[in-house]
Amino acid sequence: MITRGIAAVALAALLFAGFRRVGPLPPLGPLLDPANGVWAGAAATSFSRDQSLAIPGLEKPVRVIIDDRGVPHIFAESDLDAYRALGFVVARDRLFQMETQTRAAAGTISEWAGSRALPSDRRARSLGLAWAAERKLADHDTTSAGYRAIVAYSEGVNSWIESMRPRDLPVEYRLLNTRPGRWEPVHSLYFLSRMSMTLALNDATLKRLRAQSLVGAAAADALFPVNSPIQEPIQPNGLGAPRFDFSDLPAPGAPDLSAADTHELREGTLAALERGGRPEGGDALGSNSWAVAPSRSSTGHAMLAGDPHLDLTLPSVWYEMHLVVPGRFDVAGVGFPGVPGVIIGFNRDIAWTFTNTGSDVNDFYKEVVDDSISPARYQLDGTWRPLESRVEVYRDSRGSVIATDTVRYTHRGPMQKVDGAWLSMRWTLYEKSREIDNFLSLAPARNADEWLAAMHDYIAPTQNGLVADRAGNIAIRSIGSYPTRPGSGRGDLILDGSISASDWTGRLAVERYPFARNPEQGFLSSANQQPVDPMRNAAYMGSDWDSPWRAMRINSLLRENAKVTPDQMRRFQTDPGSARADAFVPFFLEAAKREKATGRGDRELSEAAAALGEWDRRYVRESRRAALFESAMSELARRTWDELIAPGDTAGVPGYNLPEAQMLLRIAQHRESVWWDDRSTPAREDRDAIFAASLKAGYAKLIGEKGAASSDEWLWSRIRHANINHLLRIPAFSAMRIPVQGGPSTLSPSGGSGEQGASWRMVVELGPEIRAWGVYPGGQSGAPASRRYKDRLSRWTMGQLDQILYPRTSEDLDRKRILSTLNLSPARQ
Amino acid sequence: MKPIIRYVLLAGAFAVATYGPGWWSVPLVAALWGFFSADVHRVRNAGLAAAAGWGSLLLLDVARGPVGAMAAQLGELMNVPVFTLYLLTLLFPALLAWSAAAVTRRPDPALRDSGLPASSS
Repeated sequence: MITRGIAAVALAALLFAGFRRVGPLPPLGPLLDPANGVWAGAAATSFSRDQSLAIPGLEKPVRVIIDDRGVPHIFAESDLDAYRALGFVVARDRLFQMETQTRAAAGTISEWAGSRALPSDRRARSLGLAWAAERKLADHDTTSAGYRAIVAYSEGVNSWIESMRPRDLPVEYRLLNTRPGRWEPVHSLYFLSRMSMTLALNDATLKRLRAQSLVGAAAADALFPVNSPIQEPIQPNGLGAPRFDFSDLPAPGAPDLSAADTHELREGTLAALERGGRPEGGDALGSNSWAVAPSRSSTGHAMLAGDPHLDLTLPSVWYEMHLVVPGRFDVAGVGFPGVPGVIIGFNRDIAWTFTNTGSDVNDFYKEVVDDSISPARYQLDGTWRPLESRVEVYRDSRGSVIATDTVRYTHRGPMQKVDGAWLSMRWTLYEKSREIDNFLSLAPARNADEWLAAMHDYIAPTQNGLVADRAGNIAIRSIGSYPTRPGSGRGDLILDGSISASDWTGRLAVERYPFARNPEQGFLSSANQQPVDPMRNAAYMGSDWDSPWRAMRINSLLRENAKVTPDQMRRFQTDPGSARADAFVPFFLEAAKREKATGRGDRELSEAAAALGEWDRRYVRESRRAALFESAMSELARRTWDELIAPGDTAGVPGYNLPEAQMLLRIAQHRESVWWDDRSTPAREDRDAIFAASLKAGYAKLIGEKGAASSDEWLWSRIRHANINHLLRIPAFSAMRIPVQGGPSTLSPSGGSGEQGASWRMVVELGPEIRAWGVYPGGQSGAPASRRYKDRLSRWTMGQLDQILYPRTSEDLDRKRILSTLNLSPARQ
Repeated sequence: MKPIIRYVLLAGAFAVATYGPGWWSVPLVAALWGFFSADVHRVRNAGLAAAAGWGSLLLLDVARGPVGAMAAQLGELMNVPVFTLYLLTLLFPALLAWSAAAVTRRPDPALRDSGLPASSS
């Protein structure tokens, strides 16, 4: 009886552990079950060679061939069948990622993770990401190609979800003890909302206002200028070289206290609305693109390189695909899991890519409301207008309500209460738009002009769209909606929300967008820099442009090479050279020399200068001197911009609040500029004193942290890494501390955290037969155990590209390169 | 029927039951086995057969796909050595089957007649 009793207790305990989560452990039964659990799930990541499936909604059979890189080649007879099949195969590979990303936009992660996810969910809903997506879907013409495509795509996704065997459940769902939800068409729009948040929610004004509160308006405007002092614009200005405006900056003025209030208000708003974490300073999220005309190509054909930089995650943000619908399109490239179609890629006639424009597309308005606690109306031109209210309910994994918020909307957008004031935000994301139609209409475009026409009414996020065609045309346009504003036209103040005269007056005409087609120089490029030289086009489009170092480097490489080869296009993408280092190293060395000549130098400065002088200014993994330069640059910024340290602020100024390095270069032309003076000393320092002191301090700091200058700890490979986190930030599913070539402001820029970088590298040669190469950091499968989860990572790290298979028909694909064939047929309903 | 054949069939039954209805059918099969079997070692054998059944399925998984990679990742995630996970995959059904068979086990006819208490061997 005792044994039976023990057995009964053991059985009860085992059944409990089998069915229910115990502490952090998921239910053991479905986890360990070798027929349906994680082991079977790992086995299921290897596709069977031939598979046939009937899925509902298909009009005609679709043949899907998965090549040995895991890329599906989808051969369908209609556009919608292609998108259904795509939804099916993407869900098969990336279902968890798709749901995670859309939940992040919709603010429903707490339904998985409970109250831990509440802050990020609240931010997403306060920003109105889901609200905007739902409005767009409701406004969508249901007969449009885009609408029908997202419906077809969702049918494909749901076909996979419904046909999944228990073993096919992604491991993350098992760990979270949850099941995938049904995929709805609006989820595709949720994803695009979130991408807009990543790329088009910025406020450079904050930095300017903060500076204004310390050094006055004139100096602040000069430190954070609307126009970059180094002009190497996307739309070539005809000079064939960068144009510099290196006039000295006005001296620091009296603090502007009103700016301090405004800055506080605005910073509070952003803190409430934004992602939580601050974006990294510099150009860690810096994309590149360039194209060469046949006249500058070694093959005599136009070539295009695409290199968008985004948050690096596993699985990758991109999914590679090839869609063929005879008579309609034959398009390959990458798209977002969750959105139908190719976003960056090529077809038989053209290739295209994007970089982020980074324009000013969101403004804040101080509203007058009827009740400061729980407003129902807001005032506009003397009359009260009702606020649109949306009650946001947050639930946990058991469906229990854990919080509720009321988000109120004016005609401009969502409202937030910050420091006692109600501020609404207008953002181009909230405008009516049809981005999916725009993206899908690129696939059948036959030349650069058709591509440009397809993007004519594209809204958000603003992008520099670069296209090359087989006829040898190359063109670039900074597409998207650029709001026009009343008054000065700049969106860098908190505007009076009580009058409609504060509202946007429209959008910039497409004809005024930065644009170039077949320029005389024979190439086009973009790297998030100011898109047009204000000498050519003074329209205000924003002010938060990346420093043009990458643009300068690309253009320098392209100018040096009269006939560029496809392999050079590839190598440029990870080029370790730096225009920034080229500009600053001579100043450091010259300063050390002068200080020594005037008797102010010492042994340490000489050693530092000697060490820096050994550097070839290339951020290669083997370099021991790149770290010294970065350390010295950090010191230089800190010492030069001491005027921007608020009284009593002992923590210093975060890098993102300091002027760009190009401003340092600007004042470096003026040895006696007042900005060089270190206010903490009685002496009046000049440029050379600060450069020399920065070099010496950077050297000493590095020796203190890393040991002698000959130490391997100085190796760039030990200092700068790519860190690619799994979406749930599970270390076992992530790829961390990957030594990469490149540094700040190189063509493959790497930020301090290493969590952003080249998300897709592509080179396309537009000859009689298209040749294309590409790679992204990860793999096609979203299953961490799969061989295809991060099989591309090593080649990405080394800057190598895979040749992209681009067969015209399913029979054209080399059999040895076929991993699996999937025959989809219509299911009887 | 020879005991070894009976044992193999029982292991097969556990595997099929797991493959079909799911992991929770392991204690059901074991309970039935415990109740109806006249095998003197039916409780112990139920545990061993369940482990063998799941072991066979695990081997099939290993042959078909990257189970080792999954085990390494889960081991890192749960902060346990990889072999622990494999061991747990065998122990879990074994204990389920053992306990279920022990709960439903009827006294052996010979022991019933003698009035001695049943053992759980």
